[in-house]
Amino acid sequence: MRARSFSVPWFTVLNVIQLTIAGIVVITPTLWMVLSSFKPSFEVTAYPPTLIFSPTLENYASLSQTTPFLHYAFNSVLVTVSSTLIGILLGAPAAFVVSWTRITWPAIVSLVARMAPGTLFLLPWYVMFRHFDMIGSYWSLILTHAVITLPIVLWVMLPFFDGIPRSVIEAAQIDGCGPIKIFRRIAVPLVSTGIAVASILAFVFSWNYFLFALVLSNAQTKTLVAASFNFIGEGATNWGGLMAAATLIALPPLILAVVVQRWLVSGLTLGAVKG
Amino acid sequence: MEKKNEARLELASLSLPAMIYTIAMIGFPFIYTIWMSFHATTAAQQLVFNGLGNYSHLVSDGEFWHGLVVTFYLYFLSLALQLFFGTYLALLLFRSKRLPGIVRSLFISPFLIPGVVTGMMWLVILDPSLGAANYVLTSLGLPASDWLASPTWVVPTIAIIDTWQWAPYVALIVLGGLQSLPPSVYEAAEIDGASRRKVLFRITLPLLLPTIMTATILRSVDLLRFFDLIYITTQGGPANASDTLNIYGFRVGFEFFQFGYASALMVTLSVIVLGAVLILNQLRNAVAW
Repeated sequence: MRARSFSVPWFTVLNVIQLTIAGIVVITPTLWMVLSSFKPSFEVTAYPPTLIFSPTLENYASLSQTTPFLHYAFNSVLVTVSSTLIGILLGAPAAFVVSWTRITWPAIVSLVARMAPGTLFLLPWYVMFRHFDMIGSYWSLILTHAVITLPIVLWVMLPFFDGIPRSVIEAAQIDGCGPIKIFRRIAVPLVSTGIAVASILAFVFSWNYFLFALVLSNAQTKTLVAASFNFIGEGATNWGGLMAAATLIALPPLILAVVVQRWLVSGLTLGAVKG
Repeated sequence: MEKKNEARLELASLSLPAMIYTIAMIGFPFIYTIWMSFHATTAAQQLVFNGLGNYSHLVSDGEFWHGLVVTFYLYFLSLALQLFFGTYLALLLFRSKRLPGIVRSLFISPFLIPGVVTGMMWLVILDPSLGAANYVLTSLGLPASDWLASPTWVVPTIAIIDTWQWAPYVALIVLGGLQSLPPSVYEAAEIDGASRRKVLFRITLPLLLPTIMTATILRSVDLLRFFDLIYITTQGGPANASDTLNIYGFRVGFEFFQFGYASALMVTLSVIVLGAVLILNQLRNAVAW
């Protein structure tokens, strides 16, 4: 009994120490990126690297002068918001139907879409969009990014629709409501949290997606993530600018993800794990 | 009866937009890729039927086999690191009962950062001459490394970066599994006077196996198709030391514009991913309780 009461705090201390080390390992690279973005240009490549410096915003200020950063940011927002909207408009009713009828094809298709390498779809899309002369257009980016958002919306929304009590729907049916009316008048208002969570997760993944825009965008429609090669090219001589760009690109998903933390794991795993 | 048909029609119309989109953007392209994989690409970008030509070319293509080896080397190394550190981190998080929300946010931050940003950040940290990583190593009296610029170290380096990014994700999944373990088992173990080590290796980890397998499947799908981080940092280099199948297939398609052969490579990679998922799923069922 004595030994036991002694051993508990000892393990707790050891645990806290290990957790602190793990936390430092996890946060240091990100912190280094943010710190470097505030370093004056002569100091960011200093060797040995410095920890104490007088912070400056010059890297952020020069971003929009050396690169069309704001234009890329606009492209990113346009493509991400539009593809998220398509994901919700198509995915929410589909999730409602899946919840109602228990048909399984949407689940299987979205799993295939999740497992296949992006290039598998990119090759035929390239031929398709070339045929319609759409390569480099915003539409080609929005339509392909919806392939990311639609499965996320479907899987995140499904448990929310499943959670609507059967009695509510049956009551509406007795009142003579058809599925469309039930969906619009009853289900959608009840799952508004689900729609918000699905939108945010879809936004994050569409924002982060690299491959499709890498091939299908042009100099005018390039998203921030696809433009990272330009930043790296610039960054060969200007690490401060590179790290400022990196920080700004990572900011929206980081902020949004904190909001939907609770649903993050189930959203990320397409329902394979309950968060 | 009338009513029922009407309801069915309404349900169909609700799912129709998603269905049309899925057929146009996923179903048709998927079949088109398989069709292209049986065609050769001429110099004028025309597709000519080639039977199994692309697939027989693939078998004799040294680059393909090299890509396969790199893919699996990176896959096994990354997976082992992520499962180990992910489970370890999950156990740490589980033992400290009350965690402030900020700590949780901290641990989810790496895998929310876009892959390309991860690449940019680590390019700077791992720069062979001016990077912070080599400074830390040399001040500890350890030898500096060329990291991503070294043909020997490039795959382990990418595995380390990916582990930094995704081990916390594995940890969150495993933590979910830990929280759903039945407390009665632990009470029984306590009554029997089992040591902490024994509880961990004989009870906790075996009971966690299904959850760990789920994490394995999810990571396998991503790791076998590894793209963003490699493309942004090395594009398959130096030489072709990090040229995974996915990177190779992308280059065949969009640098050499050999769509027929690229399709065959992508179909093959998809079969590998699907096969891995099916095998791992069988394994998960075998360890389920």
